[in-house]
Amino acid sequence: MTQTPSFRDVEKLSAYLDGQLKPSEVARLEARLKTDPELASVLQDLRETRGILRQLPQRRAPRNFTLTPKMVGQKPPLPRTYPVLRFATVLATLLLFFTFATNFMAPRLVRTAAPYPYGIGGGGGGGGDPEAALEAAPAEPAAPALEAPAGKEPTAPEMPAPAPTKMVPPAEDSARLEPTPGPFEKSGVQVTPTVETLTLQTVPDEAEQAKRLVRPISAMVQIMLAGIAILSGLIALLLRTFAIRQWRTKAK
Amino acid sequence: MDEPALIKAAQRGGLDSFNTLVLAYQDILFNTALRIMGDEDSAADATQEAFLSAFRAIKSFRGGSFKAWLLRTVTNACYDELRRQKRRPTAPLEPETDDGEEMETPRWMADPAMSPEEEAEADDLEHAIQHCLDELPLEFRTVVVLTDIQGMDYKEAARTVRTPLGTIKSRLARARLRLRECLQGFWELLPAAFRLEEEGIRT
Repeated sequence: MTQTPSFRDVEKLSAYLDGQLKPSEVARLEARLKTDPELASVLQDLRETRGILRQLPQRRAPRNFTLTPKMVGQKPPLPRTYPVLRFATVLATLLLFFTFATNFMAPRLVRTAAPYPYGIGGGGGGGGDPEAALEAAPAEPAAPALEAPAGKEPTAPEMPAPAPTKMVPPAEDSARLEPTPGPFEKSGVQVTPTVETLTLQTVPDEAEQAKRLVRPISAMVQIMLAGIAILSGLIALLLRTFAIRQWRTKAK
Repeated sequence: MDEPALIKAAQRGGLDSFNTLVLAYQDILFNTALRIMGDEDSAADATQEAFLSAFRAIKSFRGGSFKAWLLRTVTNACYDELRRQKRRPTAPLEPETDDGEEMETPRWMADPAMSPEEEAEADDLEHAIQHCLDELPLEFRTVVVLTDIQGMDYKEAARTVRTPLGTIKSRLARARLRLRECLQGFWELLPAAFRLEEEGIRT
């Protein structure tokens, strides 16, 4: 008897071709194949299809697919001193920049913190109106001046001990501003500095003081830090290069 | 090649040992990828990705067939690549004629600049089969490639694609039927030697 094979039959025929059926199933199927030409025809079709697929040529890989250490993220083993040296380089560099910054900023900070008690130089936009300049001046520096005994020269808090005043007004400026009423006049303290006294008090210490204020961190320290940064950086670089070269040679 | 020793060394991070395994299996993996992907460039990308994934995951290999394990890796890489291509299609699968109609014969795969001889060579069995394989759904294609082209048995194929044995049987039968239908359209393109061989089988 011949009937159109079902998908289940096709599945069995396919498995039969590959030897994936149980012996009992094989016997039953072979018996049917003898009597059912349509089933035999489907088997033949499947066999041919499989034969065609097996005829496909195996291509050679177009290139080698070997992996490199870089592809898999492998890194050469670096000596233990390497991170220490790298840290030293970074630290020394940062400190070096810090010293430069400190030396650069220090004089400006001191100038900003210590106001001119007499409005000398006009202080930016207040040059035209001495009254306005005085009012704009911070209140803190005036306080110690008020506590000072009458007739004594008021001193700015930041000023070093040997020098009574930090800033030295040029003689002509002082002369020009002499009649300007000081902040102490407003508060009732009688302060009338003259050009003569200001010049006498400040000029001898000026050079030394300015030198100290401009460079709070010495050049020696900076040279030392630069040396550490360069030397440790170079050693770290050499160690790394040597380690990578050794690792690559070993990998080959 | 002492495969178990090489695998153990690779599991300890030995790249040289793993590369020895790569050289041994790269043709098999590339051919599998080529038949699943349908073009060389994508197949090469998938193969490279598969070896990379295999190296990263080699510690999870617990014995058994290393070939089957690698084939599973390359199958996954192909699936990933196909998904990526689907998200970002770069070129139409079927080229069009000057009139804007889709070409239907495998002749479209030939380079128009080819000589007639080269063209005839390009329209060979391999291209016809590849065209028919490309027509299959991905899961059918994978099973056919693993069993009929790579010669895996059903159990190995089932382990490789992590699918029950019954599903493998069913997919393979369906795939063979569809391939048969498709290949009938290209019978005249088959090489003469093969036709004679097939005729011999028929008689």
